[in-house]
Amino acid sequence: MKKFVSILYIGICFFAFSCSEEFLDLKPNEALPIEDAITSLNDLESAAIGMYDGLQSSNHYGRYFVLVPDVMSDDVKQNASANRAKEYAEYGAFPDHFLTQNVWARIYNTILRANILINSDLEVGATVQEEKNNLQGEAYAMRALCHFDLVRLYGQHYGFTPGNDHPGVPIVLEFDEAAEPDRNTVAQVYEQILADLSTAASLLGSDFDTGRFSQLSVKALQARVNLYMGNWTTAAGLASEVINDGTVNLTSNGDYVATWEAGTSPDVIFEVKMNSADNNGSDALGRMYIQDGYGDYLPSSDIVDLIPDGDVRGLLYADDAANLGGIYGTIRVNKWPSQVGEDNTPVLRLSEMYMIRAEARFMLGDEDGARADVDAIRQRALTTAEAVTATGAELMAEIEKEKRIELAYEGHRLWDLMRWQKGVERVDCTAPTAVCNIAYPDNRFVLPIPQNEMDANPNMTQNIGY
Amino acid sequence: MYTTTLRLSKHMVVLIMSILLCSNAWAQFTATGTVNTEGDEPLVGASVLLKGSTLGAITGNDGSFSIKVPGNSGTLIVSFVGYKTSEFEITSSNPNIEIKLGEEVTTVDEVIIVGYGQEKRGSNTGAVSTVNSDVLEQVPLGSFEQTLQGNVAGVQSIMSNGQPGANVNILIRGQGSISASSDPLFVIDGIPVASGNLTVSAETSNPLATMNPNDIESVTVLKDAAATAIYGSRGANGVILITTKSGTPGKAKVEFRTQIGVNDWAIAEKNRLRGLTAEEYTHLYIEGYQNRSGEDIETIKARFDGQFPDPQTGLPAVDIIPDGNGGYSLGEIRVDTRWLDELSRKGLNQSYDLSVSGGSSNMTYFVSGSYFGQEAPIIGSDLERLSSRANVSIQVSPKFKITNNLNISRTTQNGMNDATRWANPLYNGYLMAPVVPIRDAEGLYYDGHKGFFMGGNNPVRSLAEDGDDVQTWTMNRILDNVSLSYEIVDGLSISSAWAFDLLNYQEFYFRNGRYGDGRNLNGLGTESTRNILNWIGTQTMNYNKSFDGVHNMTLLAGYESQKSSTRSVITTGNDFAHPSLRTLASAAEPNSISSTLTEFAFTSVFARANYNFAEKYFLSGSVRNDGSSRFGANQRFGTFWSVGVAWRLDQESFLQASSFITALKLRASYGVLGNAGIGNYEHIGTINFSGIDYDGNPGGAPGQIGNPDLTWEKSTTVNVGLDFAILNNRLDGTIEYFNRGSDALLLDVPISRTTGFASKTQNFGSLENRGLEITLNANIINGRDLKWSVGGNITFLRNMITKLDEEFIAGTKLRREGEDYQSFFLAEWAGVDPENGDPLWYTDSSRTATTNNFAEAERFLSDKTATPSHFGGFNTRLSWKGLSLSLQFSHAWDQYLYDATAWVIQGDGRFTPRSQTNLVLDRWQQSGDITDVPKFSWGNGSGSNSRNTTRWLHDGTFIRLRNFTLAYNLPQGLLNNAKIRSARVYVRGVNTFTWTREDNLYIDPEAAFSGVINSPVPNLKTISVGVDLGF
Repeated sequence: MKKFVSILYIGICFFAFSCSEEFLDLKPNEALPIEDAITSLNDLESAAIGMYDGLQSSNHYGRYFVLVPDVMSDDVKQNASANRAKEYAEYGAFPDHFLTQNVWARIYNTILRANILINSDLEVGATVQEEKNNLQGEAYAMRALCHFDLVRLYGQHYGFTPGNDHPGVPIVLEFDEAAEPDRNTVAQVYEQILADLSTAASLLGSDFDTGRFSQLSVKALQARVNLYMGNWTTAAGLASEVINDGTVNLTSNGDYVATWEAGTSPDVIFEVKMNSADNNGSDALGRMYIQDGYGDYLPSSDIVDLIPDGDVRGLLYADDAANLGGIYGTIRVNKWPSQVGEDNTPVLRLSEMYMIRAEARFMLGDEDGARADVDAIRQRALTTAEAVTATGAELMAEIEKEKRIELAYEGHRLWDLMRWQKGVERVDCTAPTAVCNIAYPDNRFVLPIPQNEMDANPNMTQNIGY
Repeated sequence: MYTTTLRLSKHMVVLIMSILLCSNAWAQFTATGTVNTEGDEPLVGASVLLKGSTLGAITGNDGSFSIKVPGNSGTLIVSFVGYKTSEFEITSSNPNIEIKLGEEVTTVDEVIIVGYGQEKRGSNTGAVSTVNSDVLEQVPLGSFEQTLQGNVAGVQSIMSNGQPGANVNILIRGQGSISASSDPLFVIDGIPVASGNLTVSAETSNPLATMNPNDIESVTVLKDAAATAIYGSRGANGVILITTKSGTPGKAKVEFRTQIGVNDWAIAEKNRLRGLTAEEYTHLYIEGYQNRSGEDIETIKARFDGQFPDPQTGLPAVDIIPDGNGGYSLGEIRVDTRWLDELSRKGLNQSYDLSVSGGSSNMTYFVSGSYFGQEAPIIGSDLERLSSRANVSIQVSPKFKITNNLNISRTTQNGMNDATRWANPLYNGYLMAPVVPIRDAEGLYYDGHKGFFMGGNNPVRSLAEDGDDVQTWTMNRILDNVSLSYEIVDGLSISSAWAFDLLNYQEFYFRNGRYGDGRNLNGLGTESTRNILNWIGTQTMNYNKSFDGVHNMTLLAGYESQKSSTRSVITTGNDFAHPSLRTLASAAEPNSISSTLTEFAFTSVFARANYNFAEKYFLSGSVRNDGSSRFGANQRFGTFWSVGVAWRLDQESFLQASSFITALKLRASYGVLGNAGIGNYEHIGTINFSGIDYDGNPGGAPGQIGNPDLTWEKSTTVNVGLDFAILNNRLDGTIEYFNRGSDALLLDVPISRTTGFASKTQNFGSLENRGLEITLNANIINGRDLKWSVGGNITFLRNMITKLDEEFIAGTKLRREGEDYQSFFLAEWAGVDPENGDPLWYTDSSRTATTNNFAEAERFLSDKTATPSHFGGFNTRLSWKGLSLSLQFSHAWDQYLYDATAWVIQGDGRFTPRSQTNLVLDRWQQSGDITDVPKFSWGNGSGSNSRNTTRWLHDGTFIRLRNFTLAYNLPQGLLNNAKIRSARVYVRGVNTFTWTREDNLYIDPEAAFSGVINSPVPNLKTISVGVDLGF
């Protein structure tokens, strides 16, 4: 009987111990409950890192957000083996294609990450208020960039309709799990972008780091947004401010190629940093181009032909006659040569500011100024290049050409063509003949709204043509 | 505590002394006799035990025995598997006895295992099916659950793929959950154990494959609420109870079993897809470019020659000879790699199993050790299992018993990646061009195609013995269960069971640095370990009482707590110094390191009461209150219950006299059960910190949306059953109706991605599974020498989503209220336009117009679902003297299968310049061709390879000869001199024959319940020979 009593005793002890609330109150070990997650400035910094981590995704600046518009443009032709962005290169995208779905979801998730910071009601002491402001400033800039990226990819460009009341993307300013937003107009989205950028500018301090948003990069982004909106004076003014700031100067001719090879980019203002710990590895942007990667996409012959002999930018291409040939040519893009995806993705560079200002100045009638800006970029790459003398439409063509060469494969070309109301003309077309020349305008210049968004959100409307 | 030990030792002394005393008894006599069946056949190997002693004997070849009996009289307990254990009095004055053992009646008197106990089948009110050891032993399959397919009504059991050791998926009475698990609970000797795929990587591994099926005495499937409510929140998907063997008192019985066989693919050879020959591929290559852009033959030849050289000669793999007029012919073929043949082999299947069991009246034991090896019909793909078991039960005192069941095992799997990942070598077996050689001029594995062909994949190198890659994963498991039971007073006992389940996974992958996935990293190694510790303590109290001989009751009450923790470490490294040094110590660059810990806990109290009146009217009820860490504080505890009633009509006077009806029982049950089969922390909204970093700094980001109201799925089950036996048990069976409604389904409801999330876990929606199960067994001929029995079961199942506020599309399926959960939602394929080879689809469900533009083809439902309208099995056994033939078939009707690999391996050239399966040979080539395979073009953008279309949908109706066994029990005359108790030789076949309604079905019809076939890894067909010896 004693035995029985002791067994019972053990049983009861155990009962009492394991029935306590703690026994069942288990918390995850790799995550914190939201209510415990942001309780200090440190946590805000951690949330900021989380936003940039979102940018690194292969569905944003890691690869596809940059690649997709480029394969839709005339700068890139696809290799025989290409399949990853094939539907976009061939203008055959459909709403349940993984890329349109993933890119949309990825960027909205980064907006969520920014909103957590923006809407945090954490009170901090006066001594560190500045640091908090700085982090929230970055978050506003991030939210602006993300909306800007979405509206370019999923909506026709600013200026497509006179009032810009054609559909853009939903503006998301706070987290609401039940939200089923409809699409804001392009005008509204741009208005929000500008508002967020000016809030960012007012909050950000003077620190500068090419991997983080700064006063300077916000200004540069404002310049680009204003250019896209046709606000020539503002765009030119902002570009000048960035150029004259002195924090970032044009990288010299001698350092130009080496800078790319080092994994960063010349005269960079803001870039998405990649290192081996991020290990986008086979998912990296550069690996879509290089032979040791997938080698799926190749430069079109016309862009290669535009580069004069001796221009350092010609050194950003590699000869690969061994593996290529015929209509595929013999050249590969080598702007991001890392085999393991350690190249940073440039977002804003000072060269772009010169090109923005050149275009804005041209539109404002300041042709001398425009020519000087083109020369700055052209002669940096080829010191012996002759100064531009063209005027009028020919000058504009020079601006377009210089921008195309300088910023190739950085995800600019398609948006510029749209703004200039030009179609895509593929010279050495490797896509089916039906999509070798696409006249402007065309419904297919924007991506389909993802099917899973359409399915889950009754207020969403599909883009025309999908 | 000290006194306890002392008392134990006292018992031991008494025990030892009584053994000594017995053997030195001075008054004794020798009892002799024979044990026969009622048909007067001698029973060989029957156990004869003197009651109250350790003295026993085993009957010899003629059924005879001899046993020394102390004193002047005694009682003999005679037992034999399949026969009623009976007692016979014997005295010294009449020491000879002829014993006849009656066959065990398989229906009412059989004792069955139920949750936390056992019951007579006759008094059970629930839906319970049992599979005994004779069905499970020596089946040449990796794990015992595979044997359930076709053997138990209402149960579907299939391998997730044909990789030996891959996880087995089981559904009991249909799919009851959407996002939560639909797996049943597995309970081994009373312990709920870890099951399902738990590996770190995406490879699948079945924790139940650590168990040697020969160690299993019985598998009991609990299907309705009356049977499973005692498992409360984990009973909703049914419960599978595994009882391992234990010894019986008597002389040690030694069993040695071995079998050796050959594994091949289960799909009939004529139906299997093959890769192309070099000649076929070259024609296709040329045609693909001609159709793509009208290239001339010279350009195509130049490209081909550049891409596909013969490394031995430097000349092209195939000579393309243009005729100068745009045409061509083929000349010498220098490379013709049949990748699939190179990857295929006849796999060896072997097992060796030794067990010893026996015991005395105070102690019984069963110990075993076994080896099982299974090679897939694909090189480098295999499973090995080493397993040992020791089950010991000690009756310390008449009231106190201690049992320990220990199982230690290790399984090692080598093999391929699952599913359609590019690295899956079998998938590559079709996609690799036959003009790519396996080896280069130096004899190394060829990599000359890495620039343009899938990163230079070379599936043969990936799997070969001397291959450049490694993929191996092992699982070590220790499962121990100690239980103590004590009878306080007659009828009242308590027991305390403590169990530990330790699972350790070690997974290692190496990708060489020359080509394939590791080529940019100079080699890539991944080493992962995972340790799962699962402990459980169960305290129960049992009370049995009979009043006035007619009121019989049993009561059970218990308390159980469980905690499980899973700790994983994943490390990768790259840049390997030497290709044959593959541990991470040789990696110059540690690439990533991560560890995770996840836990869950349950606490439960439960009770069950059974009452019957005169073994005629039965009433049972059970209730369980569970607390689970998986739910929020508001919803942490749930109560589940059931009631069951039964009526033994055969016990009524109006039937007792019936010579026609032997047994007849009507039973019904109703109850509410739960399902907690979700992730461990899904109710908590989180900020995640794993894998989130930027520029060297760690960060955090929202992980999931919290839902503090998240709670159990509830399932409400009605079950009505009729058990009967007629004609003196010659025909028996069960007819059962069930209706299982699952409510508050845990569902990842898709939400607008603009929120930053894709879905939120909610209690949402309802499903219903209702159906009819019929099980019949008949002994048609039951003669002395000739016996013939047939049996079978069939389940008619209707699955329906009964509540879903917003329908949603999930891949190829539409989830809509009123529809089967597995309803396919696809655009309907209308064949190929004979004019131009364009793919055609119907524009909508009216099927009146067709289009060659996939975007214009509407998807619609068309009654095609992956849920079979009925499934089951049929078996028959014919025996004559020692010779027997058993056949067991399984079937499923009207289930549709979607081939998720087809858009690639039959993609009409979508992926340049990957080869295709032989189905491409039927392609459209010129105007007027009537075929179902469209025009072939590289980079094919015609949409013909679009995914969500019935082009890839197949009728998966099948009947499969799951098992045949031709066996011969050697006659005793032959065995006498060799001192062998029994010997059996047999030939066995698994999956040897499959009939499919679709003539040319090339995929295995027994695959995923979703009907979506992601992996071309085939199921196995095994033919083996075996020997069972008993000593």
